Amino acid sequence: MTKRRFIVEPRGLVSWKVRLGVPVASVLAAFIVAGIFLFLTGVNPIEVYSEMLDAAFGSPRGISETLISATPLILTGVAAAIAFKMLVWNIGGEGQFILGAIVASGVAIWLGDGVPSILMIPIVIVAGGLGGAMWASIAAIPRVYLGTNEIITTLMLNFIALALMNFLIFGSSSPWRDPEVSTFPQGRPIPESARIPEIFFRLTGGIFIAIALAVFAWYLIGKTRWGFAVRIVGDSSDTARYAGIGVARKILTVFLLSGAYAGFAGGLFVAGPVGALDPRSLDLGLGFTGIIVAALAGLHLIAIIPVAILMGALNNAGPSLQAIGVPTATVTMLQGAILIFAVAGEFFINNRIRRPDIEPDEESEVTPVLEEVEPA
Amino acid sequence: MNESLLMLTVMAAIGLGTPLIFATVGEILTERSGILNLGVQGMMLIGAVAGFWATFTTGNLFLGVVIAIFAGAALSSIHAFLSITLRVSQIVSGLALAIFGTGLASFLGRAGGNPLVGNPSRAVFEPVFTGSITEIPLIGPLLFGQDLLVYLSWAIAAGASYYLFHTRMGLSLRAVGEDPASAESAGVNVSRIRYTHVLIGGALAGLGGAYFSLALTPTWQDDPIGAAGWIAIALVILSSWRPGRAVFAAYLFGAAERVQFTLQTLGEPWSDIPSTLLAMLPFVLAIIAMIVLTSGKRARYLGAPEALAIPYFREQR
Repeated sequence: MTKRRFIVEPRGLVSWKVRLGVPVASVLAAFIVAGIFLFLTGVNPIEVYSEMLDAAFGSPRGISETLISATPLILTGVAAAIAFKMLVWNIGGEGQFILGAIVASGVAIWLGDGVPSILMIPIVIVAGGLGGAMWASIAAIPRVYLGTNEIITTLMLNFIALALMNFLIFGSSSPWRDPEVSTFPQGRPIPESARIPEIFFRLTGGIFIAIALAVFAWYLIGKTRWGFAVRIVGDSSDTARYAGIGVARKILTVFLLSGAYAGFAGGLFVAGPVGALDPRSLDLGLGFTGIIVAALAGLHLIAIIPVAILMGALNNAGPSLQAIGVPTATVTMLQGAILIFAVAGEFFINNRIRRPDIEPDEESEVTPVLEEVEPA
Repeated sequence: MNESLLMLTVMAAIGLGTPLIFATVGEILTERSGILNLGVQGMMLIGAVAGFWATFTTGNLFLGVVIAIFAGAALSSIHAFLSITLRVSQIVSGLALAIFGTGLASFLGRAGGNPLVGNPSRAVFEPVFTGSITEIPLIGPLLFGQDLLVYLSWAIAAGASYYLFHTRMGLSLRAVGEDPASAESAGVNVSRIRYTHVLIGGALAGLGGAYFSLALTPTWQDDPIGAAGWIAIALVILSSWRPGRAVFAAYLFGAAERVQFTLQTLGEPWSDIPSTLLAMLPFVLAIIAMIVLTSGKRARYLGAPEALAIPYFREQR
């Protein structure tokens, strides 16, 4: 046996310092990597980052826009997290978000002006959730009853949803399309009574609805009997089966709930700042960004809220970069790098690495599993 | 449908299918080692931008292809390290690669003082053969009217098929994907095989991306490959992890992507179908094929590698 250079062993209890420190380090590492690319293309990364910081948090209006961007990400983040916790690989947040927006705006337009806001707004948001759940069911039902791989089906459904939205606005004279505007097709504005009131510049009360829905999901999964059963299924479906838990139904429900949360995001976005089925405002990759949010938050449903604000800040800062001659895609690159480091960070949350001649401190007094790490 | 239109459609299907062959065969080899890499879209885009950049800078088409291959492999090495050495979730890691690659490619296409975006390529892949041989009815254009990379895609698919099923190394590869613990006790280095085949998958995805930017649509734009990388992942399953079948699956999807142009040429009433609806076709086709071909009992005969997407812990045998 060759001499070990490192010993990797699972941590016993993971302290909160590690849980917090690793994601923070992931974000910093991503900024450094993106900074290298910025530097190589001839711009000063510090200047770019301070511009972004200023755009995202430098003014009350900037903060308002950051929170607007964060609102749907809280919900698409929860959507990804509750599915991934159960090892349900719902990659279709994007499509479920769009269907949420389609159904929510459709219901609002259909109901028209007569319904008071106090009824209309909840109806529109619930409609969004139903739209998302319905879209998820196209992948969820074959997954649960036929064993069809949900990664592929949910992915493909994203593109179908996008094409459907484009069809409703650009490809047909559907009720979603504004008949007043003939030059460039756009979405018909939803009734004023369906719009959530603004509270701080363009920021609507939707941010509180999103936070409340995230807290509700946390309570449902973490504190209820049903959530307990769901977590058992997520840990081991065999254990769950022996305990008499209906595994198929639990997986189906969580899949649909995940779709509903992505759909809530779509409904909330339409009833909030967008106000119509507008492809340009809705096709922003918010479903995919939700996966980044969920991963960086360690699938913790409350931690998702601050992480979504961080990602919202990045999304909000993107367009401001054009003014200084830096591509908006810097943000996507940064977010991708954040996800890469967050995934790598999982390893450092779950394991510790030490030199063989140094004894571990008391923190991990669990049976260490020794193994060799090949030098990369 | 008249004959020339059919021919046009078939030729277009071959064109659009070629990058799918590269990416799908690459992903088949990766998945055969037990590693799922969902980052194909990112690796193809990086290949597309790197290849375009190299050819744009030097005017050399061959160099563009080589750089694209290295760029795709370089990006895939991140996934290899995360999934093989750190053993994190392959699904999330692959998605991270897809997002990062998409962002980086778009960034590189627009960054700097003289950005690539909007520029045509300085060299483009043209059909290899000219003259009377391409005028033979039917087989003339089909067999002799293609560019070099189309022939290369056939060679790679055939070579990969031979490698997988008729060589000792192919046997080791399949063993690692089915049962890494047994493979290891038979003296196979699981990590090395997995690293190698993730890199090969990345290299071929990079090559597939370069086919877009150097042959199909040789002008740099932000979104040059559509959803090809995501389609390729579905094609791996639909071709049941066999490179030979991947060729036919890729051409079928190439034809599906082409269908809106074909229908427009056919005239009324076909040309009345909105293109936004036809854009759904490849994805609807993929979902239906997934449900029909891979569900229930049929899944067992499909031949998915047993150990796919499962991290391998040597000490926990």
